Amino acid sequence: MAAENMRGAKGRSFWTHVVLISLSLFALAPFAWMVLASLKPLSEVESVNPVPTEWRWDNYAKVFEQVPFARYYFNSVFVAAWVTVLVVLTSAMAGYAFARLRWPGRDLLFRAYLGTMMIPGLVTMIPNYSLMVNMKLLDSFQGLVIPAAFSAFGTFMLRQFMMSVHPALDEAAEIDGARPWQIFWDIVMPLCKPGLATLAIFTFMGSYGSFFWPLIMVKSEHLRTLPIGMLFFDTVYGRQTNLLMAASVMNVIPLVALFVAGQKFFVRGILLGGVKG
Amino acid sequence: MRTFFSATFAVLLLLCVVAWKIQPPPPGGSRTTLTWSTDNNPTRQEQVALFNKLNPDLYLMIDPNNTDQQKVIVQAIGGVGPDVFDTFGQASLEAYVRAGVAWDITEAMTEAGIEIPKIIWPVAVPSCVYKERYYGFPCNVNANAMWFNKDIFDKAGVPYPKPGWSWDDLIRIAKQLTVKGRDGKIQQFGLYFGWTNWGDRNDLLYQFGARIFNDDGTRCEIGSPEAIEAMQLSQDLMYKHRVTPSPIDEAALSTQGGWGSGGITYLMGGRVAMAYGGRWWLNLIRKEKPDLNLGVVEMPYAKVPSLAGGARCALVNRNSPKREAALRFIKYLASPEYNQLLNDQADALAPVMASAYTERFLHNPEWPKEDYNEVWREVVRKARPDELSPFLRGGEMSAISTQFDLIKSNLKAPAAALRDAERAGNDRILRNARLRPALNKLYLELTGSKP
Amino acid sequence: MKKLNPKERRNLMIGLSFLLPNLVGFLLFTLGPVAFSFGASFTNWDLTGIEPLQYIGIDNFANMFSDSQFWLYFVNTLYFLIGLPLAIFGSLGAALLLHQKVKGQVVYRTLLYLPSVTSGVAVMILWKALYNPDWGAVNQILESVARAFGHPEFRGPSWLLSTQNALALGVEKVGVVPNQWGIGAREALIFMGLWGAIGGGNTLLYLAALGNVPQELTEAAEMDGASRFRIFRNVTWPQLAPTTFFIIVMGFIGGLQGGFEQARVMTLGGPAGTTTTLAYYIYNKAFVEYQMGYACAVSLVLFGLIFAVTLVNWKFGNKEVSY
Repeated sequence: MAAENMRGAKGRSFWTHVVLISLSLFALAPFAWMVLASLKPLSEVESVNPVPTEWRWDNYAKVFEQVPFARYYFNSVFVAAWVTVLVVLTSAMAGYAFARLRWPGRDLLFRAYLGTMMIPGLVTMIPNYSLMVNMKLLDSFQGLVIPAAFSAFGTFMLRQFMMSVHPALDEAAEIDGARPWQIFWDIVMPLCKPGLATLAIFTFMGSYGSFFWPLIMVKSEHLRTLPIGMLFFDTVYGRQTNLLMAASVMNVIPLVALFVAGQKFFVRGILLGGVKG
Repeated sequence: MRTFFSATFAVLLLLCVVAWKIQPPPPGGSRTTLTWSTDNNPTRQEQVALFNKLNPDLYLMIDPNNTDQQKVIVQAIGGVGPDVFDTFGQASLEAYVRAGVAWDITEAMTEAGIEIPKIIWPVAVPSCVYKERYYGFPCNVNANAMWFNKDIFDKAGVPYPKPGWSWDDLIRIAKQLTVKGRDGKIQQFGLYFGWTNWGDRNDLLYQFGARIFNDDGTRCEIGSPEAIEAMQLSQDLMYKHRVTPSPIDEAALSTQGGWGSGGITYLMGGRVAMAYGGRWWLNLIRKEKPDLNLGVVEMPYAKVPSLAGGARCALVNRNSPKREAALRFIKYLASPEYNQLLNDQADALAPVMASAYTERFLHNPEWPKEDYNEVWREVVRKARPDELSPFLRGGEMSAISTQFDLIKSNLKAPAAALRDAERAGNDRILRNARLRPALNKLYLELTGSKP
Repeated sequence: MKKLNPKERRNLMIGLSFLLPNLVGFLLFTLGPVAFSFGASFTNWDLTGIEPLQYIGIDNFANMFSDSQFWLYFVNTLYFLIGLPLAIFGSLGAALLLHQKVKGQVVYRTLLYLPSVTSGVAVMILWKALYNPDWGAVNQILESVARAFGHPEFRGPSWLLSTQNALALGVEKVGVVPNQWGIGAREALIFMGLWGAIGGGNTLLYLAALGNVPQELTEAAEMDGASRFRIFRNVTWPQLAPTTFFIIVMGFIGGLQGGFEQARVMTLGGPAGTTTTLAYYIYNKAFVEYQMGYACAVSLVLFGLIFAVTLVNWKFGNKEVSY
């Protein structure tokens, strides 16, 4: 009886592996095709054989020759870094105000924040664009960063996180006469590091991949972020599938690296209610 | 924590400095920089270079990525608009004028002795003159004719098409020159016809005597028997005679790599024997395939010898602080230097009519094989501007063009599609005339009745 | 309004001082715009200023509802929701597999998650190439499989170029047109979405939820000799209900406002408008034609739709959860 069970369990685990491996292959196959195609000469992109007969490593260099790809990288990272820092900071402060401070009107305002989380971004996009036009921020880094620097979701997430941190500590500090700013910086923020890191990684990846807002805001070539640069590359040089794939590989690599490095925070973020992915 | 955030901010500020440092410097140095929103290509670069040579205190540069009409307007309002931008016909000129973005240059031009409507090709006038006020000057003027690859004809032993040929002739020839590969897929098509191109489509409609709108644009007339006949022909070319690539065929054709798009690529690559296009195709052909033996003949005309032509005109941004300098570019477009350069480059035809009535235009010694320039002159002379309705905006034409797409994909018979297109067009016209106060007034003026 | 005593005032000042940066952004870029959108949808607001600004009542809404294009795009938007149940079952399956304490669980989890972490323009450009009817990898695989089974004449679908679809919806009017039955652009996008979703966030949520199912429950059922399927059906699945509910709500919210990137990058909304969703429609109206008033009206309708669906889900879902 027991032996039979054991064998059953073993067989099951074998099949589990088979299914998981095929699922993984399904997930990875397009990437494999992408990498291989990025190393082919153009004439071979259409061939049935996925492996290049001639490995063209210089395809990657050619991407940099045809479009200012380094500039796109810089812009994406630059914008994402600013957005991330500002979002984390403003959300942490607001989260602290909602989670740890008591003041009249707090719960009402918090409900307003919560309510707006359901509003599709498209609704606010149109007036925001017009606002940018009127503030003459069209086609500028400020126009890319500022509207993205405030997040109701981030506020919500950090509030939940701060609620879960034991309040006894800052109550004790308060009795010792510490000011709210001291409590915020010296007690609450250090305790919330994992939450901050989670929000940071989500915000960074979100901004790095953000497409709609830069698409309508950016006019000059030297302000293009990676997704916009990719779109431009596709429209203008779209027939050079091999170079396009090389660019895609370079676009995806930082995301993969960031994900593998920060997986712990990533998983936590999703469990905290992150909707992305 | 505080230190961490302060350090991060320090790094970010450093990055700002970097971002500021790696900003491309103004390319003209100390010269006044002008931006021209237009499509970029090697000929445009030469045109700009000549301007910059003739005007040592100015530096003109091209912005190829923001040529959309609405984009130009919004950017001009947002203070980041170009100094000079292009318009393609009456509708877009009207939009720019109404948005307050186009600068009225009538006085300046008259003072300089440039009577725009008298010296440019008639087909270009509606693109730069609105209600008898001048707003710009054409950069070039285009009308299409049939390119044919003499080598393919010679190899198949088919005589070249001659002026005055008929559609039956064309279909017969195209069938002879359509070649299937061993796998049954068509390797070489007899004819390429630019279906996605609004202008090419209109050429076909016009020569069948069809109209898109009535004279004052208060009614859409695309459902007429003439239009149906024209569109039936175009559908048949793709699906019945199989001499013209359908959208699916094109997806297979267009993967062949290389630069450029559609008809030119197929013609240069020997994938089509005949292709309907403009003189500007030479831009690419001269560079990429100078050995190709090509001929040009007017398209067969079904009923009326009529076709659509277009002009690209440059306008000055009224909100630009550099508009006086930009005005010098407009004058440059009227100059003999520019017109000769343009005709030499074969970037379609130069705007000033007289420039095409020269020996140098007809037989440029540098390009002795191009013995067909008279054909280009003739088609531009015959061409008439696109029909438009003041009651429809650019985007609203989609109500009509959707139906064309259905015909093109063989999803709908032309008769039904055009009937629906006409109804959709008229619905839009009436609705706009009802809803928009300015159009309401115009409708009343034109028809004497309320919409 | 009740007068605040000095302590309350002080507390309010402290609270606001922390909240201020966020609140300014919130009012300026979220709450203000929503109110503005609402007002603008009753005007002919046109950012280009070609038309003078005017209050036009409910005309935008009347036009929208009488416009057959709007309804087609509305149906397209709903069509893409077909992917949602498939994605849910897929991620549940993946989570169940990962939950068996197999060796290398973390590795599998990472690999399966990659498609969803890389979603975006680059990956869409990749899929556009994969779907090329002539030489794309998808059709090459299909055709070589067909060859292996003795059908060398088989040709794969035209994917992104085809208007055909599994429900045989026509391209012009909302309705069924038999010759439209087949596989086309919409299926291509749904399949791509599944690829991106199956190992993604939903799997992680399910995995966490599975970890929270009390072991005593399943063990007790096992003792009773219940089959694995019955244990899942009667013990595990009900325990997962809150997670499923959350995923459905989020899926609807995301799905209804989705489809923009795919349309902009891969199909430009075509062929014949079959992949134009409401989001892409709004983009075109607002940022290509700059008919802001009309676009605001469409976006509000989308908002209303999302709101309604969420309410229904909530009502229906709460029953599910509480048993």
